[in-house]
Amino acid sequence: MTGTRWNTTAKNSLRKIGWLPMDTSNLLQNAGTAGHVFASIFVVATLSMRTMIPLRVFGILTNVILIVTSIPSHNYAVMLLHGVLLPLNAYRLHQMLQLVRDVKKSVNSDLSMEWLKPFMTERKCATGEVLFYKDEKAESMFYIVSGRFQLVESGIELPVGAIVGELGMLSPSNMRTQTLECIEAGVVLSVSYSQVEELYVQNPEFGFYFLRLASARLFQNIATLEQRLAQHATAPVSATPKLA
Amino acid sequence: MAGILSSLRYLLADLIGEDDEEPPFLPGGLPDSVVAVVSEGIHRLIEYQGASYANLYVHRLRRFVGRRDVDEAMFREIARLMIMRMSYEDPIRIAQLKLAELEKVVGDSPAQSADDVRKFRFDELIDALPAAVAGLILRTLERMGWVHKSVSIRFSTASWWGVRRLKIEASLRRWRLFSIRYAKERVWVERWLHMIDRSLAKQPAAVWEIIQTATMVQGYGDAYRQGLADWHAIIDGLAKPTFDGVLPLKDLAGAVAEARTAALAAAVPDPLQAALKRTIAEIRARALAAREHAAV
Repeated sequence: MTGTRWNTTAKNSLRKIGWLPMDTSNLLQNAGTAGHVFASIFVVATLSMRTMIPLRVFGILTNVILIVTSIPSHNYAVMLLHGVLLPLNAYRLHQMLQLVRDVKKSVNSDLSMEWLKPFMTERKCATGEVLFYKDEKAESMFYIVSGRFQLVESGIELPVGAIVGELGMLSPSNMRTQTLECIEAGVVLSVSYSQVEELYVQNPEFGFYFLRLASARLFQNIATLEQRLAQHATAPVSATPKLA
Repeated sequence: MAGILSSLRYLLADLIGEDDEEPPFLPGGLPDSVVAVVSEGIHRLIEYQGASYANLYVHRLRRFVGRRDVDEAMFREIARLMIMRMSYEDPIRIAQLKLAELEKVVGDSPAQSADDVRKFRFDELIDALPAAVAGLILRTLERMGWVHKSVSIRFSTASWWGVRRLKIEASLRRWRLFSIRYAKERVWVERWLHMIDRSLAKQPAAVWEIIQTATMVQGYGDAYRQGLADWHAIIDGLAKPTFDGVLPLKDLAGAVAEARTAALAAAVPDPLQAALKRTIAEIRARALAAREHAAV
């Protein structure tokens, strides 16, 4: 009641000084329409992104704009939808950035593949179970969490924390070179090559560092082999004087 | 437009089960006597599943091409038995074969074929579906206690509806490689090849017998399950421990043949494998006693 009287008084005062009162009833509606147009531009921009990180960033901006524009128009369904999508987009962006950071760190330190763990699925293995056979087409890599696992042909037992099959993804033949058997029940984490390929394609920076990491591990293997070869070559030489 | 359609096909390839791989060529260096068998295998597996499946057959065979320790007869037998195992008899295959009978023309009219009534267990039928669907159905059937119940299925080309049903069943082949049954068959074939490979390295005299063990796993239903269980019992009880160096079995070939005879001796399938298990235990005891005797 007081408000209505104040409005009438204010409008009369404005008329007296020659101003026309603005019709504010449409203001919110117009703001809402402008907001929707603005948000639509962001939706188009989001969908036109080629790679995952910019796509997520634009997705977050679109969520924020749509939440803000849905407030004046009381569009609670849109508000709720984007209220759910915003943390989801933020979490996925965080995962992606974390992945790039971890791979980068790994390239510069111990060449470990632990950064892949969040993308892996757990698999329980019983004693005697074979994870893959020699000469089989390789489709996934494994991270040993617990239990005991042995490469059958060479008899080498792999320690907990070892990654198996990471280079198979990049090898042209894609074939397993040994058989991996579980000799004491345990747990492994596995990730398929197609999942890693997806990460690679979605995120060029990850792809670049992944290639560097794989190459570094390959060079490390070559260095180990060269070292063994050198030891092998020097062994008879050192043995010769004893024999003589 | 063609580019867009091809992109859409690629996107939905898993869903529509499209196989756009090129058919494989015969692997180089094949012995002459094997060419016909491998060629027949490629054709059969293309018809059974598709070009990529035939490629897998060739890929598996290549492991033995050019190996000095694998002679022509062995290679031919591996190629032949692998075709048999890779074209395993699931309800989809039986529908395919029935439809093929219909396509045969005798004189001017299509050949008449008798109805086939086959008995499957529920889990065997469901295993032929894609794992994502099958898992849910199997869990439901398990709760109801129906997983091991048998059901008779009629495969008939006598009526329009019978032929339609066969065509629907045969069309499930596009999702066969996603099925639980395929996952089991893949592991089985790989294990068989692995055992041949290990036999070549550890007991070359037993290779032929190990290759022949594939004939134990045939058909469908109870006979198939019994054959598979017997095969695993022989491999786990005799072959693998010998290759691992745990069981000092000098004549693995003889032991495997003896165990197979015991398995086949049962007039009706014995799910408990009493005779087979007894024979395996006796062979193991003999081998261990022989080692102790030699040590003394």
